[in-house]
Amino acid sequence: MPQIVLRNITKRFTKFVAVDNLDLTINDGEFITLLGPSGCGKTTTLRMIAGLETPTEGEILIDSQVVFSATKGINVPPNKRDVGFLFQNYALWPHMTVYQNIAFGLENLKWSKSDIASRVAELLALLKIEQFSKRYPSELSGGQQQRVAIARTLAPKPKVLFLDEPLSNLDAKLRLEMRTELKRLHLDTKSTFVYVTHDQLEAMTMSTRVCLMKNGLLQQYDPPLTVYNRPINLFVADFVGNPTMNFISAKATGKGSSILLEAESFKASMTTSQAPELKDAEVVIGIRPEYVCISDEPTGKAHAVIYSNMPSGMETTIRLQLGKTMLTSVIFRGVDYPVDKKVGFSFIGSDILLFDKKSERMIASGSLQLI
Amino acid sequence: MARLKDKTARMPLGNKVVMFFSKPANVILVVFFVLLCMLTLYPLLTLVSETFTVHAGREATATKQARGSFTLYSFKKLLFTLDDGGSEGFKESTSWIQFYSPLLNTMAVSITSSVIAIIFGGCVAWLVTRSNIKFKKFISTVFVFPYIMPSWTLAMFWSNFFKNVNVGPGTSNGILASVFGIMMPEWFVYGFFPISMVLGLHYAPFAYILIGGILRNMDANLEEAATILKTTRARIVSRITLPIVMPALLSTLLLVFASTMSAYAVPVFLGSPVRYYVLSTKMMSLMNTYKGQGYIIASVMIIFGVAILAINQWFTGKRKSFTTVTGKSSQISLVNLKKASWPIAVLLVIILVLLAILPLVSFALESVIIKAGDYSIENMTLDFWIGRNLSYLDQGDANGILLSPKILKALGYSLLLAVSCSVIAGTCGVLAGYGIVKRRGSFLSTAVNNLSFFPYLLPSLAFGAIYLALSTKVSFITGMFALILVGSVKYLPFASRSGISAMLQLSNEIEEAAVIVSVPWWKRMVRVIFPIQKSSFLSGYLLPFVSCMRELSLFVLLVPTSDTILTTMLMQYSEKGWDQFGNAINLLIIVVVLIINFTVNKLTGASIDKGIGG
Repeated sequence: MPQIVLRNITKRFTKFVAVDNLDLTINDGEFITLLGPSGCGKTTTLRMIAGLETPTEGEILIDSQVVFSATKGINVPPNKRDVGFLFQNYALWPHMTVYQNIAFGLENLKWSKSDIASRVAELLALLKIEQFSKRYPSELSGGQQQRVAIARTLAPKPKVLFLDEPLSNLDAKLRLEMRTELKRLHLDTKSTFVYVTHDQLEAMTMSTRVCLMKNGLLQQYDPPLTVYNRPINLFVADFVGNPTMNFISAKATGKGSSILLEAESFKASMTTSQAPELKDAEVVIGIRPEYVCISDEPTGKAHAVIYSNMPSGMETTIRLQLGKTMLTSVIFRGVDYPVDKKVGFSFIGSDILLFDKKSERMIASGSLQLI
Repeated sequence: MARLKDKTARMPLGNKVVMFFSKPANVILVVFFVLLCMLTLYPLLTLVSETFTVHAGREATATKQARGSFTLYSFKKLLFTLDDGGSEGFKESTSWIQFYSPLLNTMAVSITSSVIAIIFGGCVAWLVTRSNIKFKKFISTVFVFPYIMPSWTLAMFWSNFFKNVNVGPGTSNGILASVFGIMMPEWFVYGFFPISMVLGLHYAPFAYILIGGILRNMDANLEEAATILKTTRARIVSRITLPIVMPALLSTLLLVFASTMSAYAVPVFLGSPVRYYVLSTKMMSLMNTYKGQGYIIASVMIIFGVAILAINQWFTGKRKSFTTVTGKSSQISLVNLKKASWPIAVLLVIILVLLAILPLVSFALESVIIKAGDYSIENMTLDFWIGRNLSYLDQGDANGILLSPKILKALGYSLLLAVSCSVIAGTCGVLAGYGIVKRRGSFLSTAVNNLSFFPYLLPSLAFGAIYLALSTKVSFITGMFALILVGSVKYLPFASRSGISAMLQLSNEIEEAAVIVSVPWWKRMVRVIFPIQKSSFLSGYLLPFVSCMRELSLFVLLVPTSDTILTTMLMQYSEKGWDQFGNAINLLIIVVVLIINFTVNKLTGASIDKGIGG
């Protein structure tokens, strides 16, 4: 069963390095997301695995067969790699009907006419586009075109499926719907999916593992919830999650299970299981908005002022002002705090993070009590 | 209540008119609509009416009618004189010789040469945009040379190179015959074959520019999607690339067809010496004797032009059509030609040197030899360029062309004409583009859009004929003014195309941002819109300039004397067999055009291919 291995893959264009020394192993049946801001090299990585782009250095193995090796001079062309590719703009052939678009790949594989007809019918049914089979792509809406593109990609039953930002051209509602269907499709087809996106929500909700990249460098490669709860560095912590994590600069002292933190507008102690020895060290405290708890009555320890209040019905996003620091809090219900009201706050849970300010790496996690 | 609503809802007509004309775009469109109707549709009607009119001279004698009266004589004579009683019947009849045979020749030449142009230009376009061929820069620069050069350049080169004493008029030997002693047969030197080849090669760069533009805009993902689905290279080209570019390819074919059909200079050089006539050359000779019949041929050529436009419209309107091959693909993977890369590149470079550089060398050579056919150093002189008071030159001028007042005057007029046409056509193109894009979808916008493209489809020679017919009715259309007018109208399509494409790339908000801060319209044009799309707009100026400078067929009917501008003068010299001066003038025109083209290109970034390719 196919496993994809990337070893020291580097792609240099004349002026910049798109992908820098990337090591990645994708196991059979996984749903991997390549996530990152635009220009971080995720599409280039995908295209290199598919064979549409040639790496400058390194080695790629699909199903333990070397498909690319810079040192051995191997470069298997994309049509021999047995993969499917779904393009961002669908790349449907405008001069072929929906049926012809889906059947084209099967004709190349020299399938018999009846086999092609039944396979196309099966796909049309699976993606609920039977009634469009005789139409041309220009006569379909964006969502319908998307389905045709998926059907065309799935038709030859590829073991590995590459998807390049397939949902970015759809409207918000359709995107949500297609997200569900793609995840379902992954289970039904039992194929390996490699999915490129810049939308962290898509990555979080769909994938089994997320590969987060920045400027061609791999940042973290873990299951979505690990990436969310234990981001390896400040970039990952900031990129994943909406609203974004609160970052508060502080000085840290302590060792073992207890660290004393001194921020500009509050003091707190952190209880953690593992922590390095710190003495007046520059750190950044990372707190997810859902761990910031608001109490109506300001207690003695700390209080803040409501800066803005945005109820969306299901949840409420609140900005708190503590001196010069701003804190974001999310409450799972609709509340309407008056602006400028004085409130108390506290931090809950054991997923409060501590980052080293200089290296930006996470150094500890635990719970935080105000003192 | 309802009445009150009516009153407030309906605007008085006066207000409506004021509202309408308060928008500059509407004013522009109305002005252009009226002007273009006057400058294209009215002359067209004049032309048609001229075909039914008796002209002075032989027509008046033959019909025994007064000049200007109504007659069907021209039609009868040209189209229906199917048997003059000659021994071969139809094959010797007036209609066959004057009309049907040239018509068939025109068809044969146009079809062959447009196919050559499409295949050659298309292949080069594919190689340059889609493969990793070597010398890309050189190929793409030099390949457009033949298009920048006057159309007869290659024809002249062909005859300079291949002519020999055994064929045609056979006055002297060309380079091949005198240096290598090879005598080419007549079919190779004059007639159908060389005309088709030369026209095909001349318009290949035009096809290259158009097809290259399409390929560059075609989404490479469409081809990659096929690659992923295990399609072979050959099958991708035949099933994906070709069908997708086919509509655009077809309209390119039609445009090239329209251009080759109206070509005049090439058939004159390579056809007339052996009495091989096409419609354009026939029409020209009829213009001196039977004007009415000449106008009929012009009308036939126009009908072809309009038919081509209609076919094009019908084709792009079909259900399967997909003119929107836009959408830039950022990552294009080039086809690896592997070992073939070098041989193909070397072959192409050799062909390009033959096509674009050798002709120039040949003109230089021919312009410095004293006795034709002798290429030894002793036989060479620069007298034809810089000689002064030399009676032995014996070619209507005792001075070399750089010192001859007659030729310098013609050069001055040529430049004046080209600059005037480029300024008028270019500015109108910018304005028309602005109006058409701003009011896109409205009747006026569509009408002006089509009218401004219309002159493109009228064969140059026929267009000249139209204005000649018009000059008999409108007295002030004469001399230089007529030339400038006809040139400006004829080249408006180039300028309006680049104007439209430049405006389409510009979002509305850019101008609106200036409207909000109450910048007047002219200032928005000059300070905001023009500077942003400077290179596109300037391409709209450059193309009319280059075309005017090298144009012959458009002006040949309208020049007061053949000494007026360089191209007609060149034509006259080569008819008289004054080869040295002819070659020297030709080289002078080419050098002026190339220098101006590259200077403008380097200074502003405007280029010929931008103008056409959009």
